[in-house]
Amino acid sequence: MNELAPTPGTGSASLTEPLWKIRWKLTRRSFAQSWEIFRESRIGMIGIILIIAFGIFGALWPIMINTVWDPMVYDPVVGFDPMSMHPSPPSAAHLLGTDPIGRDILAQLMYSTGREFLLGVLSAVITVVIGTTVGTAAAYYGGLIDTVFMRIADIILLFPFIPLLVVMGSMVKLSFLPFAVIMGVLGGFGGITIILKAQALSVSVRPYIDAARVAGGSDFHIIVSHIIPNVLPLSFLYMMFSVTSAILSEATLSFFGVLNIDMSWGMMIHTADVAGYLFDFARYWWLWAPSGLAITLFCAAFYMVGRGLDEVVNPRLRKR
Amino acid sequence: MRRYVFGRVGQVILTLLIYITLVYFLLQAMPGDITMMYLSNPKIPQAAREELRSQLGLDQSLFIQYVSYMKNFFRGELGVSFSQYPKPVWDILMEKLPRTFVLFLTANILSFYIGFVLGKVIAWRRGKIIDHAATVVGITFWTAFYPLLALVVIWIFAYNLKWLPLNQFIDPRLWTAAPFTANQVFGNMVCGAAIVAIGIFLIFFYLLRGLKPSRRSRVYAWSATAALIAAVVFVAVRKGMLIYIWDITRHMILPVLTLTLINFAGTMLLMRDSMLETVQEDYVLAARAKGLPDRVVRDRYAARTALLPTVTSLVLSLASSMSGGMVTETMFSWPGLGQTLFTAALANDYPLATGALAFTGIFLLIAHFIADILYAVLDPRITYTGQSGI
Amino acid sequence: MDTLLRLEDLTMHYKTKAGWVQAIDGVSFSLNKGQSLGLVGESGCGKTSIAMSLMRLLPNNAKLVRGRVLFGGQDLYALSDEEIRKLRWKKIAMIFQAAMNSLNPVYSVGNQIIEAILTHEPETSEEEARERVKSLFELVGIPAERMGHYPHEYSGGMKQRAVIAMALACRPSLIIADEPTTALDVIVQDKILREIEDIRCKINMSMIYISHDVSVIAEVSDVVGVMYAGKLLELGPADDVFKKPRNPYTYSLMYAYPSILGEKHDLVTIPGEPPNLLAPPAGCRFHPRCDWATKECAKVEPVWHEIANGHYLACHNPIRTEAVKPCVEQVAATGNAQVAATGTVTEMHQVTAKGGDGNGASGSN
Repeated sequence: MNELAPTPGTGSASLTEPLWKIRWKLTRRSFAQSWEIFRESRIGMIGIILIIAFGIFGALWPIMINTVWDPMVYDPVVGFDPMSMHPSPPSAAHLLGTDPIGRDILAQLMYSTGREFLLGVLSAVITVVIGTTVGTAAAYYGGLIDTVFMRIADIILLFPFIPLLVVMGSMVKLSFLPFAVIMGVLGGFGGITIILKAQALSVSVRPYIDAARVAGGSDFHIIVSHIIPNVLPLSFLYMMFSVTSAILSEATLSFFGVLNIDMSWGMMIHTADVAGYLFDFARYWWLWAPSGLAITLFCAAFYMVGRGLDEVVNPRLRKR
Repeated sequence: MRRYVFGRVGQVILTLLIYITLVYFLLQAMPGDITMMYLSNPKIPQAAREELRSQLGLDQSLFIQYVSYMKNFFRGELGVSFSQYPKPVWDILMEKLPRTFVLFLTANILSFYIGFVLGKVIAWRRGKIIDHAATVVGITFWTAFYPLLALVVIWIFAYNLKWLPLNQFIDPRLWTAAPFTANQVFGNMVCGAAIVAIGIFLIFFYLLRGLKPSRRSRVYAWSATAALIAAVVFVAVRKGMLIYIWDITRHMILPVLTLTLINFAGTMLLMRDSMLETVQEDYVLAARAKGLPDRVVRDRYAARTALLPTVTSLVLSLASSMSGGMVTETMFSWPGLGQTLFTAALANDYPLATGALAFTGIFLLIAHFIADILYAVLDPRITYTGQSGI
Repeated sequence: MDTLLRLEDLTMHYKTKAGWVQAIDGVSFSLNKGQSLGLVGESGCGKTSIAMSLMRLLPNNAKLVRGRVLFGGQDLYALSDEEIRKLRWKKIAMIFQAAMNSLNPVYSVGNQIIEAILTHEPETSEEEARERVKSLFELVGIPAERMGHYPHEYSGGMKQRAVIAMALACRPSLIIADEPTTALDVIVQDKILREIEDIRCKINMSMIYISHDVSVIAEVSDVVGVMYAGKLLELGPADDVFKKPRNPYTYSLMYAYPSILGEKHDLVTIPGEPPNLLAPPAGCRFHPRCDWATKECAKVEPVWHEIANGHYLACHNPIRTEAVKPCVEQVAATGNAQVAATGTVTEMHQVTAKGGDGNGASGSN
């Protein structure tokens, strides 16, 4: 009888490997499985390829400016090419032409890519961290915490982001990082909280959560090691959509000139617009097409990865 | 049902108070105040600035300022616009609100309907060419850069094809001799459209009830609809407004088109996904087993339940649709709430900007509320105590 | 007696990423008017696929490899989509496996049944259809005033009854009941089965029951078919099959259930798992798990042949009837699988117990 009685530590002692190693293996296996499913999704793969392409394109910038390009001419903000009239159409020196004040469009495009990555990913990470934490806490604790955060989310959902940021931007010109943080925070407390809370709620009523509680797991332990891992895939999915919305907002606000950002894809179109070149749309195509296309493709890439992930998270969307 | 609606109204009022409070404090938190504008002007002495501050109540405590602001807000006193001095903010907003309302409502209904129908069709033909094509087009519009999209639309339809007027609300040449103001005509237009819409709804609701309406009631319904439209057009002709109504309508087409293009893709992609889930439900298989025609299975079974999550997301996306609306209004110089807000913000016209922001919020709240009620009507599982059933 | 339904060598495969799944392989049987047929087998053996192929409601990745389904002399797979649509529910109706989910949540239950009637009988007015649904509700025991209610307002048992009422709506000549009562508790299950049987006898309708539960099948079927891995192994009058099971699989299946009332007996367990239908075993598909299997079983596919009047079998080493006979009578009588501990059976149990991987010598010889 005595030998059957559980003694503390027998469970882990009988395991040949430490717990973290097993966890790590499990994580890796589930990751590999998810990747298998993700690979099936054509749209998701196109998205990944596009993102990698943008990554390479952005990484080329520091290389180009330090080797091939003369910083005086090719600086995206203060560069100027004295050799020709501006804006000049694409030529050998300027593959995508120059803007109305003589800066190289390709250089601007490359320089901005990295910054867009930073903006999108930073704000998406903030959004997702806040959304996951708040959503999980609201679902697990319920009561006052739930009510307060859900009301906050309701109100943020009402906020017309762009008009609000236009008004704010007209007073304090937001620069790059504060803008990313504001987008992230507003997104995090908004709709994503409601969605992640619903997911956390459906996880927290599952039997193994009760089992963990009976086994004496602390709230913190249960949230961190049982609920959050089950919410994370959905968080990750919404992260992709957050990137899209952050980039689009930045581009729109830059276009209206209410942000204090030296260069971005939106700024490039803004420059062309204030100089009046957008009215002759087709003739000065190189002023708006590269950056406009970049915005759309970049956002579409993240959106498509999101859709691919959707098939991983939601088995009912798969073909069979 | 009544209790549910009243409960929601209570929530809406509470949210409204919080929203306006937030807008107020947000603007308060911005550095400086109105009198800062005079700071750079050396001709205005410090004493004069102080006097101005006390006149404006800016030397009072924040709380008192807030209370008086709220009081005034609900009395409809939103101050006087700086940029259109001395026009009261309230008057400006009341003039702009209907225009935004019409643009927003038309574009949203259109985009939702188009998105719903397309999403339904492509989900039903999953994996076919139309599915791939629509998904690609949808993602393109969904992630398009709005201002650029507006420019493309203007460039194609107004600049190149010259089908439609370029910009703005009306054609000034036509209106110089007009016996009406644009707002009068617009008001009549909105009323007429509302009468037609409500009329058609009632006609179809009462005459075409039941699972199998008779052919006679179909004929009645269509002729009544035709009669109603004819009557409204007749009144417009008698008043001599038709040509002006046509002018406003022509100016409306491009903004509505742009806003629809911006919005439809979201609904379409969501409807597709939602429907891909419902087609796997047992009741859809059961409907096919029942020998119902393909269309009936698609529309009444798969699409009908797939509609519900799509409506939920419509509610969630109203705010972003408003943002899209603002961009559209600005790009088309459509004199609505969004454009007003934008120009006011750029001109540092704080009272007008705050008022416009507050009204945008109120507008969204009401839209939100209506969409909520609509959802409750669509889903029988919602019990009107605010909780969903099984 | 008139033959209503006839399956001839029906073979149907599903295309998957891993290859073709041979879900139904060479199934043949026929069903007379007014008769009830029970199909029994483990889950995943192709029972539901047969039901779906009778309705021509197979998923897109399914392919009819060969064979015919003759309904009233008509080949169902020769009909146009429109013709088969009109035939569904009007002639062949179905009670679904998940009755709980086979009602549309956003329409009232009454309307969903009326819709079926109006679709197939356009000349019927809505009022007439409503009256008919009312009487159907009475027949299955739901108060008529609940017609206007939505599915979520029904209890599980009521939904099941509503689904039965729906199946009866167009007075079909054949109803396929796919696990009609699996989701219900035993008492409700029993009651509903009896109601279905009553109605069936009243209106002389044919019925196909599909279940993994031998007791359900024993209770309601005139003819019983035993399926394994997409193949029919034995089919015959219920009395014959339950009293004198000839195929070892039938035998094991029957004794895989414990009995509450009868004497204690060892439960027969079938070693191993159902085969992967992507690459089913050669010869008899059951041979790897069969204690009676011989070398022949692994090589030659047994032929489907008639061994007595209406009793068909596919097996190389059928169990000799005399040996088993005494112990099985109660099974057919109560509908529960029971075993009396006789010498022969014990002997066989021993065989069962030691046969692990199934290559044991044939036990009955």
